[in-house]
Amino acid sequence: MRRLAAGLLLLGLVATGCGSDPAGPPAPRVTGSAGAAGTSAYDAAVSRPQRDSVYPDVGNDDLDALHYDLDLTWSPAHSLLSADEAVLFRAVRTAGHVELDLARQLQVSHVWVDGTAVPFRHDTSDLVVDVAVTAGSRHLLQLAYAGTPEPVVAPTDRSDFTTTGWTIASDGTVWTMQEPYGAYSWYAVNDHPSDKAFYDVTIHAPRGQVGVSNGSLLSRATSGGGTVTSWRLPEPAASYLVTIAIGRFTETTDTGPHGLPISYWTPTNRPDLVEGLRYTPAAVSYLERKVGRYPFPTLGVLLVPSKSAMETQSMLTLGIGDYTLSRDVLVHELAHQWYGDTVSPDDWSDLWMNEGMATYLAEATWTADHGPDTRTRILRGWSRYADGMRAQYGPPAHYRPGSFGEGNAYYIPALMWDTLRQRLGDDAFWSLARRWLTTHRFTSQDRHSLAAWWSRESGQDLAPLFHAWLLGPREPVWRAG
Amino acid sequence: MTPAMGTEELTADDIDELARRAQGGDRDSLEQLLAAVRPRCLNVCRQVLPYSPDAEDACQDALINVANKIGSWGRQGRFTTWMHVVAVNSARTTYRRMKNQAFSSDVLPLEKPDPRTTSVIAGTRLDLLEAMETIERDHPQFVEPLVLRDVYGMSYDDIATQLGLPLGTVKAQIHHGRKLARPLLRGND
Repeated sequence: MRRLAAGLLLLGLVATGCGSDPAGPPAPRVTGSAGAAGTSAYDAAVSRPQRDSVYPDVGNDDLDALHYDLDLTWSPAHSLLSADEAVLFRAVRTAGHVELDLARQLQVSHVWVDGTAVPFRHDTSDLVVDVAVTAGSRHLLQLAYAGTPEPVVAPTDRSDFTTTGWTIASDGTVWTMQEPYGAYSWYAVNDHPSDKAFYDVTIHAPRGQVGVSNGSLLSRATSGGGTVTSWRLPEPAASYLVTIAIGRFTETTDTGPHGLPISYWTPTNRPDLVEGLRYTPAAVSYLERKVGRYPFPTLGVLLVPSKSAMETQSMLTLGIGDYTLSRDVLVHELAHQWYGDTVSPDDWSDLWMNEGMATYLAEATWTADHGPDTRTRILRGWSRYADGMRAQYGPPAHYRPGSFGEGNAYYIPALMWDTLRQRLGDDAFWSLARRWLTTHRFTSQDRHSLAAWWSRESGQDLAPLFHAWLLGPREPVWRAG
Repeated sequence: MTPAMGTEELTADDIDELARRAQGGDRDSLEQLLAAVRPRCLNVCRQVLPYSPDAEDACQDALINVANKIGSWGRQGRFTTWMHVVAVNSARTTYRRMKNQAFSSDVLPLEKPDPRTTSVIAGTRLDLLEAMETIERDHPQFVEPLVLRDVYGMSYDDIATQLGLPLGTVKAQIHHGRKLARPLLRGND
């Protein structure tokens, strides 16, 4: 803590808010690529933010973030993150204040709205900014903050992760996985999947290290002995799909189908890990045959010291371990680029929308096509445990809030999709599975809009089937076919 | 996010139940069982053989042994404990085979293999395995408890259950085994 305080003083940051500095507040340093708040450049990120039914304390439905511009400086010697941030947002309602999620460990020195310093409160993990906004108006919120980020407790009993958000490994590598929430451990954010936004992230890493994030690497330069990288996500993303890592990484490039640029970011001292990632182009081709063209202009795979793996948008984040580096997991996280990232849930009760189809595509279909077991045999194995999972964790779309990401969200909806495939036939099923993505591209949806769409497009009333599998108290019968 | 590993879905009781059904000849149960214990088996093998492809070879052999010898699981302890022993033994067998291959190779007949490129010598615990080879010639009874304790890190209680020996005997064997091993280990030259 002493180190932190010293760092803050050195940077001239004091946590007293605005207006206390006799010389007047400084000008914000990050202007946001949008420039003016009036621009329409980020219209594709206009969302319908929701208050979450499972985790209502994180995220809010009054503010619709359109673009985040983050300028982050990491000092490992003091474990100090100092940041300048600009958020272009749309006010959903007329109100006297706006709110973002931001962990208390980060001390905010200044907040500006549309270039003017404004008062704010930050007593909890909400940053409350006192500014009057009218419904539909767009504003540029800027802030400067610093501190030592800490991960947040994850609402799960899974053994491969207990916390989410900014994590500092024993070797000093910074990494993050932040589903269902945890982005707020390192930046001010509407930390909810119903509010997608564009991102520009600039990372100042210390000497010998480099910062990695989502999307395309726009520039990489050496500055003052450190490395400065600028990343851009050219499609809107939910906050749980944002990744960042700072450490000793080496980039290796590869090419996917249709010339897709692929980059592998592996620990510099583990060159042996690159070879296994070279399966990525074949995996993308396989998935393209099932669910259509890969949805983003670039793809990357980032390896970090985690025990889990995340489908972070166009830059997968995989833990270093036999399981998390297996082809099954690679295909699973890639499948999420279609199911999960292109179309995301707008409420965490619909996590199954991501995991059910990714599991059906990867662990059932891909595994059957590349191993000794048929898909029927694999699904039969799962069907034996489905009842127990439902009893232990709840129905897939009504799981216990402390049981995030358990087997019920993966295997039961995979059995459901197989049941639907049998009912509609292979051709119709896969055709609709592809069209659901193209017609709902880069939006957040839920089980109601999904059931209505599949019913309409198939000409069958599928609502009872979805309801029984997703919410029913008893496991429906899966039959081989 | 990735699904939690296969074994996470199965409790120790579930695995024991699968193993009982597999002993009864149910092939589906056997296959599910092998899939469920594979990550654990690989971890055991990696403790002995840190070089990944060697560990995977050993794990494959171990799973074949598990399938062939499943009838000899006595049900007195957890199936996974029994599987650990099979896996450690498979890893040792793999190590022995690879060492023989390395030394019978005529590529570098006079030199020791380069530890950075020759997988069998790549590990940190291989000096301990070497010591086991030596001890086994005169005191074979000390080897299995010592490997389970010092290579795999299994508890004394589990080792006693697994080998069907009193706890005191197991502790004594490990104590004697360590005394014999100590002068054979690196850093004690």
